[in-house]
Amino acid sequence: MIQFTVNDKAYSVDVAEDTPILWILREHLNLTGTKFGCGAAQCGACTVLLGNEAIRSCSTPISEANGKHITTIETTKDKEVKALQYAWVAEDVAQCGYCQPGQIMNAASLLKKNPHPNEAQIIDAMRGNICRCGTYNRIKSAIAIVAKG
Amino acid sequence: MELTRRDFLKHSSFVASAFLVSFIVPQKARAQMVDNSVPEPNAFIQITKKNEITFFLPQAEMGQGAYTVLAMCIADELDAKWEDVFFEPAPVKELFNIPGMPMMLTGGSNSVKTRHLQMRQIGASIRAMLKIAAAKYWKISADLIQTKNAILTNTKTKESLPYGFFTDVIKLMKAPEKVTLKENSELTLIGKPTKRHPKEAWAKVMGHTQFGIDVRLPHMKYAALIQPRVFGATLKSFDATVALKKPGILKVKQLANHKIAIIAEKWWQAKEAINDVVVEWNERDFAKISSKDLAKEYESYLDKECLPMRKDGNVEEAFANAHKVVKATFKFPFLAHAAMEPLNCTVHHQKDSAFMSMGGQFQTLYRNKCAEIYQLPPEKVQYYNNYLGSSFGRRGTPSADFVIDSIYAAQNEAWPVMTLWSREDDIKMGSYRPMYRNSAEMAIDKEGNILGFKAKVIGQSMTKGTIFESFMFKEGIDATHKEGLTDHQYKVGSHDIQGFCPDSPIPLLWLRSVGHTQTGPLVEGIIDQAAVAANMDPIDFRIKNLQNPRFVELLKSVAKQSNWYKREKNSGYGVAVVESFGSIVAYVAKVKVENSDYKVEKIWAAVDCGLAINPLNVENQIISAVNFSIGITKYSEITIKNGEAEQSNFYDYTVSTIADTPEIHVEIINSGEKIGGMGEPGVPPLFPAVANALFDATGKRYTSYPIRLS
Repeated sequence: MIQFTVNDKAYSVDVAEDTPILWILREHLNLTGTKFGCGAAQCGACTVLLGNEAIRSCSTPISEANGKHITTIETTKDKEVKALQYAWVAEDVAQCGYCQPGQIMNAASLLKKNPHPNEAQIIDAMRGNICRCGTYNRIKSAIAIVAKG
Repeated sequence: MELTRRDFLKHSSFVASAFLVSFIVPQKARAQMVDNSVPEPNAFIQITKKNEITFFLPQAEMGQGAYTVLAMCIADELDAKWEDVFFEPAPVKELFNIPGMPMMLTGGSNSVKTRHLQMRQIGASIRAMLKIAAAKYWKISADLIQTKNAILTNTKTKESLPYGFFTDVIKLMKAPEKVTLKENSELTLIGKPTKRHPKEAWAKVMGHTQFGIDVRLPHMKYAALIQPRVFGATLKSFDATVALKKPGILKVKQLANHKIAIIAEKWWQAKEAINDVVVEWNERDFAKISSKDLAKEYESYLDKECLPMRKDGNVEEAFANAHKVVKATFKFPFLAHAAMEPLNCTVHHQKDSAFMSMGGQFQTLYRNKCAEIYQLPPEKVQYYNNYLGSSFGRRGTPSADFVIDSIYAAQNEAWPVMTLWSREDDIKMGSYRPMYRNSAEMAIDKEGNILGFKAKVIGQSMTKGTIFESFMFKEGIDATHKEGLTDHQYKVGSHDIQGFCPDSPIPLLWLRSVGHTQTGPLVEGIIDQAAVAANMDPIDFRIKNLQNPRFVELLKSVAKQSNWYKREKNSGYGVAVVESFGSIVAYVAKVKVENSDYKVEKIWAAVDCGLAINPLNVENQIISAVNFSIGITKYSEITIKNGEAEQSNFYDYTVSTIADTPEIHVEIINSGEKIGGMGEPGVPPLFPAVANALFDATGKRYTSYPIRLS
């Protein structure tokens, strides 16, 4: 039995230890906001926070979450995530929207470590998150708004 | 937090900002009585007694903004309260077909182009019906009733009633035969920069949007596929004994299309069991196919007489008398769409009916495929179109490959089954943008006039053998070989343009902007070479030889924006202008070359889509097209070896990232011409603008995509 919390709610699951966190969220807990994109930690669509760290949930086994906190896009409390969501809407970022939960979670992790990143730091932190619609210009400006406070 | 547009501009440090440089009112958009072409407007709009208004939108939302822009057209004419309207995908019914087409379909940048007037008529019809209903109720003339924010006001008594009060009445009313559309001065949404509808935008940032992959039905199961990696291979045998013992695995079955479906309680379990199924394929000679050999074959046609695509004037004489002749050969690789959401479809095969739920561009076609395979009348198949996690054409496939997989996987099963392709399936299983080998030659005189243009396009047809063949594949030539090439806008004395479509078992499909992905770089590449040969500035040469003043306006705009005539000498600047899907886009690209790498630093764009119904969305589509196309310019390529794709995921099929993003500046010119599409037209000019900028920076012509400097 593996025990963890997701967005402050406690869960315990009895699954193969190597099941990726992504599939536990999507198929066991029905939290579908976290997206499957590549299954190989290559695109960032599945990004969630494990503690304060952004992880690729498609390639992180659920055993690593034992006793830890997971934060997903469905959080209603995380300060950085909330601020980013407002900025995302204000900057008209999302097009198809599929990668955006992963983008926001990755940006949240950046802001937790560095609340005021400059453009180069934003690019460096976000380059692993693919957006096929190419909303990158808007993503940069949305993060910059939050970074400026 | 509600930011205004001004705040938005003020706060955006890396902003790409749109400026409307002119607003010419199109004749047809003036207030006028028009014949109402929509006999059942009530089917598109639901108003509840609580005054909740829902629009049933017949186009797919795949990121291009179709829901928002179509809803703007309805809401403006209806006088609904913008923030409060809801959207639902329209079901598959004839009355939701594209005007003039026998189906519902989202493709060819058609949503706004084909529907804006229809949507306005729907809003105007319902508003007129509400006013008639209220006039009877208040016993006054309908002219004395005002509408705003979904409320009717009796101007005599100042009494107000919500639209919902009359919902039962208008359901029984016949639609007016003629409707009056608003005058431009009365419009509150159309023509105004409008962000994505807040309901859609918030759902997307909170993870609440339901894409096809998020469909959840009671008792549903999930299928992963085993597909032959060699194109054309067929299934010989398989043994699933070991797989069937693994946890969660319910069934392993052969599908009628040479694939194997593993059905499990969870998709992850099904995917994990793939390696436990022992499969043998009949690969035959298909395993010998390689893109290298295909390329050699294609290149051999460049030296031969091919099939005519355009022939006029005396091209031999033109080249014989030329002051100068420029030549180029072009190489374009196979490309995967790599849409962000892996392909999927959920199907429930019931006793005398079926239910399917997915995100698709071809609603009617997919519904009909399901009906055909299950031998049901089409109306017995209920189809629900979810949001699409991007597409770029991949979810608009006439072969319906991934949809048919899902229909077969769920056939005769008790449960609804979601069939989900892995990313490896997506990259390796084709339906690629075709590979092409093209050539171009241009003859000019001393004054810089174009005397002759020869070109060849060699690539496999993407429409042959599909339902589009009858009107898109004629006399051996695919219409997508020609678009943007045989109908280019330059003044040219003579033409000899040829093409050929060799066959192969590799499945192909249109990718965002379709044939223009290869004709755009060809035309705008050879024109750039001709300009240099004529010893003229590339923009001046284009303006001299263009016959369409709309193109000239855009070139002047990008020249001004980029300060073209006083551009920095130590950078590379390139220009291109291409019309596609009814809209024209011009770019000036600025590139920086460092060692053997390059970066697109800045794009200045000018757009003429007739009238920008939502200028902010036009700007967003340019941003999207630029970043999408930089990936194709620099990185993306599918190569085939031993009959299968050599790439399998984003680590070897590279696309653009935030690090590749240039600064983008967009100007919109509302010419007042017919409204064009915007999902695709930003793509084609990006390739030649960058290639021409690289020439400016290095003195070398780059015509082989993806462009690598070393």
